[in-house]
Amino acid sequence: MSMLAEGLAYFGRFGVDEPLLRAALDRALARGGDYAELYFEHRIAHEVGLEDGAVNRAFLHVSLGVGVRVLKGDQTGYAYTEELTRDRICEAAATAAVVADGPASPAPRAFEVRGRPDRYPVKLDFESVDIARKMPILSEVNALAFARDASVNKVTVGYADSDGVMLVVDSTGHVAFDRQPMARLTVGCVAERAGRRESNHHNLAGREGFEFFTPERIRKVACDAVDRTVFCFDATTAPAGEMPVVLAAGSAGILLHEAIGHGMEADFNRKGVSVYSDKLGKRIAGDEITIVDDGTQPHARGAINVDDEGIEGQRTVLVESGVLRSYMHDRISAKHYGVEPTGNGRRQSFRDPPLPRMRSTYMMPGSVPPEDIVKSVKRGVFAETFTNGQVMIGAGDFTFYIKTGYLIEDGRLTRPIKDTNIIGNGPQCLERTDLVGTDFKIDEGGWTCGKDGQSVPVSIGMPTVRVSAITIGGVN
Amino acid sequence: MPTTVTENTLLTQAKDAARLAQKLGADDARVGVSRSRGVEVEWRDGRLERVQERTRRGLSVEIFVDGRYAAMSTNDLRPSAVEAFLTEAVAMTRVLEPDEHRRLPEPARYGGRVAVDLDLADASQSGVTSEERRASAEHLEALLRERSANAPIVSVTSAVEDDSGESARVHTNGFEGVRQGTHFSRSVQVTLIDRDGRRPMGWAYTVRRHQAELEATEAIVDHARDMALRQLGAGKLATGKYTLVVDRQSVPRLLGAFLGPLSGAALQQKRSLWDGKLGERIASPLLTIVDEPHLIRGLGSALWDGDGFATRRRAIIEAGVLKTYLIDDYYARKMGVEPTGGSTHNFEWALGTRDADGLVADVGEGVYIDRFLGGNSNGTTGEISMGCAGRVIRGGRLCEPVAEVNLAGHFGEIWQALVAVGNDPDPNSSAASPTCVFEGIQLSGV
Repeated sequence: MSMLAEGLAYFGRFGVDEPLLRAALDRALARGGDYAELYFEHRIAHEVGLEDGAVNRAFLHVSLGVGVRVLKGDQTGYAYTEELTRDRICEAAATAAVVADGPASPAPRAFEVRGRPDRYPVKLDFESVDIARKMPILSEVNALAFARDASVNKVTVGYADSDGVMLVVDSTGHVAFDRQPMARLTVGCVAERAGRRESNHHNLAGREGFEFFTPERIRKVACDAVDRTVFCFDATTAPAGEMPVVLAAGSAGILLHEAIGHGMEADFNRKGVSVYSDKLGKRIAGDEITIVDDGTQPHARGAINVDDEGIEGQRTVLVESGVLRSYMHDRISAKHYGVEPTGNGRRQSFRDPPLPRMRSTYMMPGSVPPEDIVKSVKRGVFAETFTNGQVMIGAGDFTFYIKTGYLIEDGRLTRPIKDTNIIGNGPQCLERTDLVGTDFKIDEGGWTCGKDGQSVPVSIGMPTVRVSAITIGGVN
Repeated sequence: MPTTVTENTLLTQAKDAARLAQKLGADDARVGVSRSRGVEVEWRDGRLERVQERTRRGLSVEIFVDGRYAAMSTNDLRPSAVEAFLTEAVAMTRVLEPDEHRRLPEPARYGGRVAVDLDLADASQSGVTSEERRASAEHLEALLRERSANAPIVSVTSAVEDDSGESARVHTNGFEGVRQGTHFSRSVQVTLIDRDGRRPMGWAYTVRRHQAELEATEAIVDHARDMALRQLGAGKLATGKYTLVVDRQSVPRLLGAFLGPLSGAALQQKRSLWDGKLGERIASPLLTIVDEPHLIRGLGSALWDGDGFATRRRAIIEAGVLKTYLIDDYYARKMGVEPTGGSTHNFEWALGTRDADGLVADVGEGVYIDRFLGGNSNGTTGEISMGCAGRVIRGGRLCEPVAEVNLAGHFGEIWQALVAVGNDPDPNSSAASPTCVFEGIQLSGV
């Protein structure tokens, strides 16, 4: 079945047909827009929660609508409707059309159908799984967590699944249809020892069907949550000041996401407000550093078959052996720079216009054995798990929050540390990333990236690396 | 603003949905129906960047079946879809484990609703035209450029937005409520280029329920410009303990960390360092925060809270003493205590007598912080660590700019170290924070 036929077969139940698509695109281009696009979305999400030992809450969310976008140069008109009737969709199209002010542009005569990769085939559809089969997952996590350590006294577990269906049809005649599953398992844990309490969270997520919830993942998320909580009893805040930091493989990819990822989203560069705006083709890091933003990893949380503008998700090399090679583009910025879109046009929902966004961002492994990297540090910090980060795009200053880690003294991991923010400057931090490990890990955590009020799921990955000097926000 | 006909329509929809849920097997239900429309115009560097219209609607239903609980939301309001959705929800709820604490609130708590017109909706909103929004956005940018003659500007983005919304809420044990509101906002951000290629940014906004109360455009653009200029030529700060003057727009970050653990969920789940501290002094005697839900035209005003309880004015912190937790109906049942209301609305502070400039002069030596960046806090233990930037204060004046600074410590201790409060509550935020001064705070730099 073609993507158009698939899309119409799905959205046909809401009354969407080809004449409606044509009418809406005609209306969208009625004032001379360069480009118009319809983004239909239907999303069904389930959540089930456990608190105080009982699986006693469930949530069901349904979201349905179509967003209409009209572009004139790099100007955007956007409107959406949650009623999929011809009148309402044409009204939204007319609203979006006002970004242009001229005679009508031609709408497509034929819709073009292309193939699509399948990076997240689903074995067991969420729709076919009754809540009674989901509940034991939560009870199992709860039991494993309590069995893991006697100091555990509160456990919360959250199960979430989501099935998003999208159809993008644009005025060039391009059509894309995709189903984007997401599975996620979250654990919160509180432990108490001698009147002292510590808490932590952990979660795992991926684009898979119900088969995501394997016994291995259930065990891992429960045990890691507990281990990361009781770790904190022995940990203290890190010292304050500038020192070397070794980032553990995996979720330390948050450094790339904040320090350089956002700054390489092309909208910021198009506007001249990114610290990387004039760095294309220039050396910004050492030879050993290659950074990739990738939508193609099977079942990764940040994987996409097509982006939310209908462009195929792809692997984009941002930094190659230290040289800035490409920004991340949506249609607007690609046109501005005269390049092909990179499949980074993403949006939170039909209510939002797409923006250049990351998918799975990671650094390629290097040549140094990870243990040698730790050994190389006289006094510094080993950062192991993280919660969140943020960046000021223009100044380049970014932060990320270390939940747990260790001090490094004379090349050895010593005192456990926790709850410490790190602040640095993106370009400077890249220059100071001087050792890159041979190991490499994509983190399976449920990372979510926020920009312009829109959240999208992403992945991050990293080999073990050393940053020679960065400011640790601890206490002396 | 919308007429009572519309109110009745939403209320009727809510009642219909509640009745349908009961017909399909729910013992009780709590239903919310909402509808809103907003338009935003974004203007950048001399031309229109983006026009967005947002027209939302939604139905949310919480159901109680055989001592079990589930909640759901949908925007697919076709009658057949709503019925299918509620049918699935009831079936799903029956399978869950029971929760004796999940019940509708005691109807007596719905009583005592204050009879006051909060005046949250500005009738002029429906008459705002696209041309007016564009003209306002264009004017903001032009004015900023005009008032920043020598600033090395790279880009200016301004935005003008307004929205109106209505909602109705029904509980099957007697609660009914409808409300309407509007918002108007203007914002501007400016990016400069520094000699070393860094591009510092400043921003400012004003938001009000009524259009006529928006802050003067001059004040907004000056604030954004000064905030950006303050970061030109930023260097690093020596690691140490400093007296901090925190800009009123940034104070809510510190306050949020401090107040978050007062929630019933945090207390009952043992994730609160304030557990057992009711009636104790947990902050400086200079800190008094009263929650006023009935502020006329207030950004956070409401006559009832998330449980349908009539809201009332109350002190949260009085002269540093913790006066109340924020416990909703569900967690109150779990804890075996009386609910105190889980929502906060508009804050009133015990204000000082000096504005930001005066406080900087009083402090003499220290650091002025006008932005926080990232970071996090631990509500179980009190640790906090977050990025910030601003200017060094020397001789009572703002001197060299500093960036890549990090503030860390224990948020309880930080609020104990509050030594002065400004006279300048932020009118663009329901937190209404004034400038605050803290002594002996750990900052990291080089």
